[in-house]
Amino acid sequence: MIPEAGALVLLALFGGLVAVDGTSLGQFMLSRPVVAATLAGWIAGSPEHGALLGLMLEAFQLTILPVGAARYPEGGPAAVAAAGAYAGTSHSYSALLVVLIFALALERVGGASVERLRQLNVRLCPPPGRTSVRSGRLERRHLLALGVDFARGTALAGAGTLLLGWVLQEGFFLLPHGTVARLALGAVLAASLGAVFRLFGRDRLPLLAAGAGVGVLVLVLFG
Amino acid sequence: MSALTPGTRRALLLRSFAVQGSWNYQTLIGTGFAFVLLPVLRRLHQGDEAALRAAVARHAELFNSHPYLVTVAAGAVARLEDDGVPPETVTRFKNALRGSLGAIGDRLVWQAWRPACALLAIVLLLLGAPWWVAVPAFLLVYNALHLWLRAWGLRVGLRDGLAVGKALREAPFERMGERASDAGAFLAGLAGILAVGDASRGPAEYALGAAALAAGLWLGLRVRLAVWAVLVVVWAVDTLVVATS
Repeated sequence: MIPEAGALVLLALFGGLVAVDGTSLGQFMLSRPVVAATLAGWIAGSPEHGALLGLMLEAFQLTILPVGAARYPEGGPAAVAAAGAYAGTSHSYSALLVVLIFALALERVGGASVERLRQLNVRLCPPPGRTSVRSGRLERRHLLALGVDFARGTALAGAGTLLLGWVLQEGFFLLPHGTVARLALGAVLAASLGAVFRLFGRDRLPLLAAGAGVGVLVLVLFG
Repeated sequence: MSALTPGTRRALLLRSFAVQGSWNYQTLIGTGFAFVLLPVLRRLHQGDEAALRAAVARHAELFNSHPYLVTVAAGAVARLEDDGVPPETVTRFKNALRGSLGAIGDRLVWQAWRPACALLAIVLLLLGAPWWVAVPAFLLVYNALHLWLRAWGLRVGLRDGLAVGKALREAPFERMGERASDAGAFLAGLAGILAVGDASRGPAEYALGAAALAAGLWLGLRVRLAVWAVLVVVWAVDTLVVATS
């Protein structure tokens, strides 16, 4: 659903904040989907919806490593937009499936906009070469680049929330069979969590098995 | 008189949080590195604008580092500048340092610590913990190492200057990364099974979940493409079935 105007503005600004947290400022990991989506859900009225969505987006994002000059999808603003729109709906697996597809697509758009920003930064803060550089000018340009990143995240989250909110409000693309969506979502979540293991090295297979064993025990005792 | 006053040290630390603010494909974090050093450079070259401009230009050249460990380089370079070490030596030192600061941080933080902490949050949520427990737990645990790395880096950089490599070799980063990876592997197994249990309602569904988990293990980092494919195909097929029935 499209959030109310006040919440929409807050979501857009929060999208800007998580965009700069992702790379430019702080990197406290407010931009991780599990954090960004939960807090966006809270802003829009349902942190539980946000946490559920954030959990899934986080599992998909975990295998992406921001090493060196790697180009990668941007999780933060997409998670804010998706959770902001999803929080106003009554929970259904069908809606969650649509929201996830939208969020993953928006992550790609976000990643592409980060690339554009980095190209723009070459012009904002060109290599000094042999010329001298005024300290005040360098400081202003650096802060301007930060501001542009914030504006980029704000626009992305705001537009994303509006677009997805409208899609959900009109009921476009929603599946009639919740069971199919639930099974698909469960399967992709399990697959993503299995894939994360590869980050830690194959020699830790016994630890993975131990964790899985504890999981089975928990399911048997409390499931 | 030294430029490394408590005020400039604080400014170095605070500015290090914005070191990637103007990240670009030509100088990487070069401009950001000069931005971090500015309080020290301004104090050192007070009243000599030409020297200040030249120093800023030198430090705005290509540089890269893991963002949390940039304080090691910033602290060490501030020490060298304060000691009046020749600019060519400082440049050679920066070139020698940047590769190792990137590699150490990438292995410890991006590849081990962050996924392990995120898996902790995922496990807490799958176990039914409220969001206001899982999310703060992730942020607190993750940022404990993050903030320690920044503060430690600045301290050893300022203390050791050119000899900072010894502190980097002796730091327990390798061991910390190993332990974080151990915890991450355990949590990945736990989270995977909990996710299967959470989504399944009967034996056939459990089998499907287990097969998906195994497929993820096999696919590894290629899993994102499979995730996309499954979500889109399920949605498209179901929509088509409804439209034609």
